[in-house]
Amino acid sequence: MALIRIEGDNLVVVIEGLDKFWALKGSLTVPLAHVRGATVDPGIAGEPKGIRAPGSHLPGVIIAGTFHQDGERVFWDVKDPSKALVIELADEQYARLVLQVDDPRATVDLIESALTGRR
Amino acid sequence: MGRPRAFDEDEAVRAAVVLFGGRAYDGVSVDDLVSHLGVHRNSLYKTFGSKRGLYLTALRRHLADDVRPLLDTLAGASDAAAALRLITSADLGLLLLAAVERAPVDEEVAVEVKAALAAVDQAIADALGVSADLATALTAAALGIILRGNPDDAATALVRGLGSLTR
Repeated sequence: MALIRIEGDNLVVVIEGLDKFWALKGSLTVPLAHVRGATVDPGIAGEPKGIRAPGSHLPGVIIAGTFHQDGERVFWDVKDPSKALVIELADEQYARLVLQVDDPRATVDLIESALTGRR
Repeated sequence: MGRPRAFDEDEAVRAAVVLFGGRAYDGVSVDDLVSHLGVHRNSLYKTFGSKRGLYLTALRRHLADDVRPLLDTLAGASDAAAALRLITSADLGLLLLAAVERAPVDEEVAVEVKAALAAVDQAIADALGVSADLATALTAAALGIILRGNPDDAATALVRGLGSLTR
């Protein structure tokens, strides 16, 4: 599970609890200028994810860590696909973050409204 | 890096207009978009950034493809009856849904919807030589008639009632 908040001009993602261990990452900070958008996407967990390195993929249990697909790096931290959220980035180490959050819709609203003010 | 886009972006956006116009924003999932647009999930995110990004692109496309031509035909409307008929027979599905569903919660959608409706008002005012307020009222009535299932008699009765106001 991830906690997402806006701090000034940054989007801050904090990976909580044991997921930190599986994902090998505790937090990520991305300038809002590099965030293209956020989308509720429970279906994404069923897609091919590419090659994992590093991190953990125990099918049906947790998808966590960095995955490589089509020349893109995607960061995953999802246990419950029904709460999955996709954050598309530009000019960052990761092309995309796929995260599980408590309230995906509210989180999308939070991110999109922070972006709307900037565009 | 990254593959070339293996899909027709133009076609995908047009399909999104139909999908969002028929099922509303909240009624369309990313799974729906992937299966109806012929676009891979990753390409969808890479191209449009988010579902909302695609929605805004689709809305603007709807305004250009469906509302813009309405403005042109409205310019040739000879009377209020003709103007009402042109609006009630146009494909304004996505615009109406956007006005109700997304404009109240999405500033960028609100701006697009407001501008599109203002352009319709202006086209009516110019074509019929009526005040901006009366043109706005006619647009509002026409949209209301669409929402009521387009009863023929309503438009006729309205025009008769307006009488001398609109020549």
